[in-house]
Amino acid sequence: MLAVNGGPTDRQIVRLACDLAKPWKSEIVAVHVVEIDWTLPLDADVAGRSEEAQRVLDFAEAVAEESKYRVQVVLLQARDVGAALVDEASERNADLVVLGLPYRTRFGGDFEIGRTIPYVLKNTQCSVWVVRQAMLEGSP
Amino acid sequence: MFVLVVGGGRVGYYLTRELIQSGHEVVLMEKDRARATQIADEIGSIVIPHDGCEGKYLAEAGANRADVVAAVTGDDEDNLVICQMAKHHFDVPKTIARVNNPANEALFEHLGVDDQISPTRMILASIEQEIPVRELLHLAALGGEGDLELIEAQIDDRSPAIGRAAQDLGVPNGCSLFAVIRGGVATPVGSDTVLRQGDKVLAIGRRECEAELREQLIGAEIGAPGL
Repeated sequence: MLAVNGGPTDRQIVRLACDLAKPWKSEIVAVHVVEIDWTLPLDADVAGRSEEAQRVLDFAEAVAEESKYRVQVVLLQARDVGAALVDEASERNADLVVLGLPYRTRFGGDFEIGRTIPYVLKNTQCSVWVVRQAMLEGSP
Repeated sequence: MFVLVVGGGRVGYYLTRELIQSGHEVVLMEKDRARATQIADEIGSIVIPHDGCEGKYLAEAGANRADVVAAVTGDDEDNLVICQMAKHHFDVPKTIARVNNPANEALFEHLGVDDQISPTRMILASIEQEIPVRELLHLAALGGEGDLELIEAQIDDRSPAIGRAAQDLGVPNGCSLFAVIRGGVATPVGSDTVLRQGDKVLAIGRRECEAELREQLIGAEIGAPGL
């Protein structure tokens, strides 16, 4: 199960997953989660109307096609991305969850890992791979 | 139903858990970040680690669509502010406040908090029910026009009402005896119902009738002149 979010690592993790899945003919599911804040009910029609969400999933499919493989795409909306990914991986009995991590630093230079990846690492039953984006030239 | 709970102490925590188990949509606000994280670890990502006294955070928590806001912090002032904002700024249909100091109940009511829960008052009432007292026991304030209250009177051996029918008692205007509990059984009070020692009489009446009702059912106060 791939977590795609429209970030700079999406291409990398889809390619990696396709290369990994091909010899075993494994199933790949690319999941994009749209976070819904508390001002709206959870079932508000947001993700379905989001062009950005559709673009993220189309991109994942296109990259998989380049690798001559097929991914199933899933669009979810949830209060919290990390919790949604953990639940989805559990429901689908995923063997592996792959997430991308852009190389980002906070103001002051500390490496920023965000809150989704630590949550998924802590709570997902199956194996989790985190693919960190390569440092840009000039990064510390 | 969407319920916004403010305050992640023991009351807020257990309230949130019960509401979730009952199938309601719940969000909990707790300003102490460490406590908020601890609760989120236990019951899931429904905790907003901010102060519910601030309007922008109440908005973030979805107060605009909440059916109920329950302010259950340990601070009466905070609970009042939260309920006021919820009611008047976000048009929340029902606000519930925990009132720690019973002296604040009237203020909360005056300022439009829909329901007030006072643990202190509840414990006090429970103690009063267990201990025989020669006083009228206030069971509930019914509010509304006339400031009505639900009152219980215990008929003890010194009561002037023993052996008298309800119609012969000088029940004050604006006051009505409606049930008598005898041997654990509640029966309606009719005009010919004769009161006995050990009865519990339930009445509804206005606050200003209380002294007169007390005199009819319980008798003069202990230590009153003439006794």
